[in-house]
Order: sequence, then C-alpha cells, then structure tokens
Amino acid sequence: MRLMRERGFSSGSLSKASAVLGLERSKLASILMLLKEKGIVEVRESSIWRPRLTSRGEDALRRGLPEERLIRSIDEGGTPLKELSEMLGEEAGIAVGQARRKGLVSIAGGVVRLSLPREEALERVAHLRRALEECREGRLPQRELLEELRSRGLVEEVEEKELLVTVTRDLEEVLKDARVEMSRLTSSMLKSGAWRSFKFRSYDVRAEPPEVLPARAHFLAEFIERLRDLFKEMGFKEVRGNVVELELFNFDLLFQAQDHPAREIHDSLWLKGEAADLSEYGELIGRVAQVHERSWRYKWDPQVAARLVLRSQTTAVSARTLIARPRPPMRFFTIGRVYRRDAVDATHLPEFHQLDGIEGYPGYTFRELLGTLKDVSERLGLEVKFKPAYFPFTEPSVEGYVRLPNGKWLELYGAGLFRPEVLEMAGLDYPVGAWGFGIERLAAASFGIPDIRILYTSDVDFIRKFRARW
Amino acid sequence: MPVLRFKQWRLSDLTGLSPEELKEALFRLKSESEEAEGYFVVEVNADRPDMFIGEGLARAVRGIMGEEGWREPLSERSGVKVEAEQVPTRPYIVAAVVYGVNVDSEDFLEELIQFQEKLNEGLGRRRKKAAIGFHDLSKLPSREIVYKMDRIDREFQPLGGGRKSIKEVLEETEKGFQYGAIARYGELHPVLEAGHEIIAVPPVLNSELTRVEVGTRDLFIDVTATNLETASVILDVLTSNLAERGGRIGKVLVAGAEYPLLEQKEIRVSEREVVGSLGAKMSLEEAAAVLRRMRYNVDVAGEQLVVKVPPFRVDVFKPIDLAEDIAIYVGYENLGPERPRELYALRGSYDRLSLLERRLRSLLVGMGFTEVMQLSLTSPSLLEAMGLREAAVEVLNPVQIEYSVLRPNIASTMLRMFSEASHVSKPVKVFEIGPVAFRSRSGKVVDEEHLAMAIMDEEVSYEQIQAPLYSALRVLGIEFSARPGESSITMVGRTGELLVRGEVIGFLGEVRPEILISVGLEYPVAVAELNLTLLSKLT
Repeated sequence: MRLMRERGFSSGSLSKASAVLGLERSKLASILMLLKEKGIVEVRESSIWRPRLTSRGEDALRRGLPEERLIRSIDEGGTPLKELSEMLGEEAGIAVGQARRKGLVSIAGGVVRLSLPREEALERVAHLRRALEECREGRLPQRELLEELRSRGLVEEVEEKELLVTVTRDLEEVLKDARVEMSRLTSSMLKSGAWRSFKFRSYDVRAEPPEVLPARAHFLAEFIERLRDLFKEMGFKEVRGNVVELELFNFDLLFQAQDHPAREIHDSLWLKGEAADLSEYGELIGRVAQVHERSWRYKWDPQVAARLVLRSQTTAVSARTLIARPRPPMRFFTIGRVYRRDAVDATHLPEFHQLDGIEGYPGYTFRELLGTLKDVSERLGLEVKFKPAYFPFTEPSVEGYVRLPNGKWLELYGAGLFRPEVLEMAGLDYPVGAWGFGIERLAAASFGIPDIRILYTSDVDFIRKFRARW
Repeated sequence: MPVLRFKQWRLSDLTGLSPEELKEALFRLKSESEEAEGYFVVEVNADRPDMFIGEGLARAVRGIMGEEGWREPLSERSGVKVEAEQVPTRPYIVAAVVYGVNVDSEDFLEELIQFQEKLNEGLGRRRKKAAIGFHDLSKLPSREIVYKMDRIDREFQPLGGGRKSIKEVLEETEKGFQYGAIARYGELHPVLEAGHEIIAVPPVLNSELTRVEVGTRDLFIDVTATNLETASVILDVLTSNLAERGGRIGKVLVAGAEYPLLEQKEIRVSEREVVGSLGAKMSLEEAAAVLRRMRYNVDVAGEQLVVKVPPFRVDVFKPIDLAEDIAIYVGYENLGPERPRELYALRGSYDRLSLLERRLRSLLVGMGFTEVMQLSLTSPSLLEAMGLREAAVEVLNPVQIEYSVLRPNIASTMLRMFSEASHVSKPVKVFEIGPVAFRSRSGKVVDEEHLAMAIMDEEVSYEQIQAPLYSALRVLGIEFSARPGESSITMVGRTGELLVRGEVIGFLGEVRPEILISVGLEYPVAVAELNLTLLSKLT
C-alpha cells in the first residue's frame, strides 16, 4: 500500500501494477487478494485486447517492412516499376503505395525515384518498425501506429483475461489506521523498534507443517530403560555380566547335568577355541562336582565346565551374583543379550535381551515370589496368571503368563525358587527366588509389532518415524 | 517338553473322565493337552517320565480326583537270570519281568513303544546313558541270559528284517546309523544272548526272535547303561507303571542281585519345610492328605511327616520337591501371591556402565544422532571385507552362516546397515550401544560393551564425527588425549586414537573408500567407536 501511494498507482491491470510497483505478478496477486478482503482495493477480472504479430508482421520484422525494402532497392537514378515488382513480388504494390502516400518516393514514366535521401527515407518509416517491435514484446504502441499495423494485417488483436485493480479507499487514510502486516518478526525490527508499526499476519494454524524426523533413542532401548527404572524403583540392584560365558555359570551352577539334553549342541551356541582357565574357581568347582555327581550319578568333568558358550540365559549373571554370597535381604537384577541356536523368523532371533531377577532372605516363600511377579506385572500394566512348570534349577517352578492389550496371553516369566542343590553349590543358606523373561517379545507385543525382526531394522528413517506407544 | 499321544478311549477307560474333565485334571498336573484325530496329545514335563504312559498318567489323574497313596505290586522270583560279562563300553545291565502286561491292542502296543522311546531319549540321554529292550517272555529261547561283547561279524535276525551281521546292522540301517557308535568297541559290540541266540544288540535294536506284539502277555525287560543307578531307576519306572495293568512283577537275578529294586525313598519333612517354604496356610495333617493324593504314602510322626516316595517318581529328592507337589495340588492361583514386605525397604541402584550409557545416549540424541540396534552375530564375509577376520570369534555350531561370527566392533555392522538402507534421508547420523567380542593377540576371547557413532552424507569430514564425540566426552568430564592411530576400516592419516589415562578407549576416522565400495556404499562415512567397558572403569 505504501508503494501504491508513493508510486501513484490508483488503477490498472495486474501487469501494470506489477510494472509500477516492481513486484512479481504472483506475489502481488496474493497481496491484492488480501487487500480486496479488507475492502481497500477492488479487483475485477476483465478482458483486454492485446496486439499480436501476424505471420506477415513476423516476416516484416525479420526481412524489413515492404517500404523499407523498397527504399533499399531503388537505385540512385530511379528504378523501373517493373523491375521492382520482380524484386519485391506481391508486396511491391503495397510498398510503392505506402511510400508514395508518405511522400518518400515519386513515380514518373514507369520509373520510381526516391524523393528524399535514402537515409532520411528509412528514418521516416523506422517508427513503424519500432511499433512492430513493441507489439512483439507485448507492449502497446501508439494508437495510430497500432491502427496502421492492424489495417495492414501486420498485427492482430487477441483477447486476454486480466485482473483490473482499482484502489477504492484513500490509501493515506488506510495507512494511517492500519499498520502494515508482516509475516516474520526479525531481530532488526526489535533493534530498530520498527516492530511497533507492524502487525503480524495470522497463520492458518490448522495447516500441516513440513515433516521433521527427530533424532531419538531406539524404541527398544527406551523400553529396556523403562524396565531398568522399574526394577531399580522396586529396590533391585543392577549387575551386569559378559555375553561370552563359561559353561560353569551358564549350566553347571544351574544344576544342568553335563549329559543333559538341554546342554546339547542344538540349543546353545558354543565358541571355537580352547577352554578357559578355571583355577580361580577352585573351591566352587569342588562343590559343583560333589553336588552333580551325588545328584545326577555321573562323572562331572571340569573340562566341560571350562568351555566357552554364548550366554543362553541371563540367569548365568544371577549365578555369578549368587557365588558372591550377598548378605540378605537382597534383590538383584540384570539385563543383557542372550544367544540361542534359532534360525531367524518373525518370532525368533539368534540373540535377544533377557531380564533376570533374584531376591531372597531367610524365610522367603514361594508365595512371595509370586507376589513379586504380580507386582512387576502390575507396574507394567499387565494382568498375570501362573502355571506350574519345570526348570532344572528351580523348585517349585512356575511360568507366568501376562495378558496383552489384544487380549492374548503371552508366556513371559520362567521362575521359581532356586533348588537347594543350586544354593549348596553357591554356598548360600537362605531361600532365593529367581525369574527371567525375554524382552523382545514383550516389547514387540507392547508396540503392536507383528515381527520381532523389525526391532533390529536397518532403516533409520523407520526408527525416527516410529510411533512408540505402550 | 516331551509331547505324548494317547488314544482317547485308553485314557477314558483308565480314568473314567470325560475329555473336558481330563483336560482340567491334566492342567492341574502342569500338563497342557488337546484332542486330535482320536488322540489326546499331552505335553508332559520332562521330570515326570511316570506320566509317559496311559497307566501312569491315569494314576496321577485319579489322585487329583481323590485316590490316595500307592500300593506296591506283588512280586515273585521269575527264574530268569542274567549273567553279565565284561562290557567295557556299556558295563551295566539290569532286568525284570512283568507278568500280565497283556498287549491286547495295536493302540496299547503303540503307547508301549512311545513309553520306551521317550525314556530312552530323556533319562537315557538318547540311549547314550541307558537304553531299554522289551521282549516277549514266552519267546525267550532260554531263561539263562548272557550280556557280553561279541564279534560284529556274527549274524542274527534284527527286528523287522532278514538275517544280517551286527556290522551290517550298525553300518547300514537307520537305527545303526543313529546309535551304532554309542557302544561299539572296534570289531566288538555288546549283545544279549539267550540259548546261544542273540536276542538284542543294545543300545541299537532287538532281535525278531523275541518280538513283542499283540497277544504278548508277559514282558522281559532289559536296561543297559553306563551308570547302574540310572539303569535301575529306569527299570523301576517301567515295572511300576506296567504292573498297573494288574500284573505281578517277576524278579530277575542280575550278577547276584535281584531286580527291580522298586526303591522307595523316605523323606522326613517338617511343616516349615513343606508348608513354610511355600508360605501356604495349611496344617501338617492337611499337607499329609494332599501328598497322599499326589500318590505318596505318608505317615505323621509327631511334628514330622514321613513320606515314602513311590519308585516311579524320579524327580523327587528333597523336601522342596514335596512342597512343589503340594503347591501344584492346591493350585498356584489358590496359593495366592503375597508381596515380600521384607524386601521393599531395599534401595535399588544402577550399574555404572548402564549409567554411562544412559548419559551418552541422551547427549548423542541431543546432537542429532539416532540410536540403532543390530545383532552382534554377523557374517564372516563382512568381517573379511573389513579386514577383521583375524580377530573374529567364531561360533562352533551356527545355524546360519550370516550369524556365525561375533562382530569385533560395532562400526563394521553399522557400515553394512548403511548399505542395506542407503535410501534413507541424508545426512544419516546414528549411534549404537552393544556388545562386541574378539580374540586378543594372546588368543583369549574378550567381550566388551561398545558405543559406535557414524555419519553418512554426500560429503563427510573427520571433524564432523570428532566434534560431537569430543563434546560428549568433555561434557561428561572425561579427560582424554588424541594421537594418530590405525584401523583396518579407516583411512591412513585420517584415523585418530583416543586415550584416557594412557589406555586406548577408542578410535575415530573417515572410512576407507575401498571398504565403502566393498559393502556397496556410494556415500562417504565417518565413524567413531568407544570401549565403554573400559571407559566406565577408568572414569
């Protein structure tokens, strides 16, 4: 509006406004629509007749107007009309007629002569050529010139739709009342104080913004952290162990006989290479050998216990915690990866995370173990039910099923009181409850993911977009 | 968990229950079951081999319905004698007769074989530790049986086949292929002989001569083993279950001792031991009644229960095993969970390493890095391409070659991840926290927890990975120094090594173009990797 006032625009076509105000048509159009809504301008659509060169007009611009070509063709001493007709073809008549009317040439005795010097004669018709050029560029030449070009069939007029803009209010007035609307508040406006004279345009807050992908923690890691918080909150101390483990802690201390089928090659993953050194576990080895041989009736072999296995259960970490003989009452938990000899599919991975917890004090009971599992489940927002089970290292043993949001029951916990044989090997004299569960299946179910492979996707954009609700 | 199939008519005859009632009772005995094509398919826990046959399963079910205790079957001397010679590869044998087993149908025969197979698999450790042979008593060529080593070129008629040498059976039949190596000793193999005829080649298969079939009334049973007690326990389970069919047991003299032993362990327990450990509210008398229904014979002696464990309960050794049976009878749900009040006063804590990981995670996310998670098992070809094969820790028994080695660093698997998803919006800025393992120069397997971060873009510089890494370490107050380093995946002259208190805690650099090409990447990548296990100890 300020520009309009300064440059004296009161009405005209959009093209004209664009030229006068020095703004792009598209930008100007949207501003004008805004002003129209406020009743400051009137915008009408109207037809405008605009000149356009015909093919003859194009030809004239390229080769010269017929009279120009005529002027150039006449010799000093005049040229016979007949000769000119041969040179200029059908345009000869027009050329001669036009030139004679403008007093540029004279005809006498069938011979055409220049009435003016050649340069001057050419100058006389140059304005017509300029008008033609203007037409080509979309500008409007003088009316009489346009008329002449049109009557000679060099230009034609075509209809064009154009927006006609008329300022309907006193801009001076409007500018005095209304402050200018701005889209952005800038630092320089704040520094100069100019912000006071601006008004900030309202936004369409219903419109969608462009998509931004956040950098974020992995949703499975977040789930694990939540479990970590939950157990810490319940008074459990966290411990961590290694993924490469001795069979001693993965199996022997958990009362799995060395010739037991569960220890055979198709369940766990063993590592190539030599067995480890067990010398630091001297006293423990003695107790393990004694308990195994007495209970399972076979010759216990320390060489087998010294083999390296990829931890198949985080209970191995609990076993290491037990041999440190923690003073009761005690609660410990661990979270880590475990490895199994499973082929990859929608519900199996060769490695996944497990959480293992232990707790105990003299007088600890099986009902209390169930109580803890119920408490954990409730804190996860899950209903739980229990079923008898069998594990080699616990008695009584229990499986805990939790009800998922989709109503299905998921077998989650494997739990029980450590067998007296386990406590004897570890050297503990009070009852200890233990449980473990796989994290991926619970996480997948909580996230509504049908395939646990998705938890280990390579697609970073997927991770960034993922809707992690639980 | 062993899965067993029983004909429906058998179980309803033995229990008198409808399928629904049966299912309910089995559930209380920690067994899930379903009906399928005239069969009851039952999952039985591995510690209850006495439930691997209809008679034993029904006995347990009838206990739940109210039947109490267990009565030892009548027994007499059978007159069968086993002489055991030196059998170095499988030194022990025990044997027994059960009269009146009466194989009256194909359905029962099928179940009998299933019983034998499941016992061979579990308690027998796939026949390695012990294996069972059933024979028709009436078909024994002699009552004098010899267990001995014999030459494998000796011929006999194996079950279901024509005459063959033992060697042929061991080397050319399916059973021979599966079990032929267990007891073979060069050109010798154990045999069971009666009247100079081979009646069995344990633990592989029996002879046609003594085949058990529909019409067989009395069974002669042998169990050969590498451990005498295991053999005897298996014989006890077999005979005490088969005698449920109304028969008597015939004692067999083996090397001067009579079998089966039908040993009944006696466990004396206090109220605290059986009821207290559960936290159940129950009197000693009530506990005794429950145990009787779990088929134990129980006497109350003052403040104690004297519990006689039937010979088929191989899973019961200690008071806590009896407590579990009480809990199962009562039902875990009825027992009721109870919060351990004593434990709620404890103060929890996080492991140091977990805390370090947590702080790094939030800093890196704040600097625009997204966390990824990948498996630590990977393929040897990837490590080959990265020049990391030397230090790789290999799995002895992988299922899939793609998951047969452990990654020695996270950066290697991260590069593969990039190549699998190179379409993702650039720049890609990621990090991962997880385990790695490698073989140290001395050959020892080392596993550590690492952090790796990486950037992939049209152009990437050392500084782009260096700046956020340095910031994170400095914000955590970790003092470190840097020096030129080397790694097989980053460029010479563009690899840095970070040290904390003189120990190398990680490296960073621009990935070598030949490495990028080898994993099919057409974008440059800068990586950094830290040993968090070490870092958490040093700081």
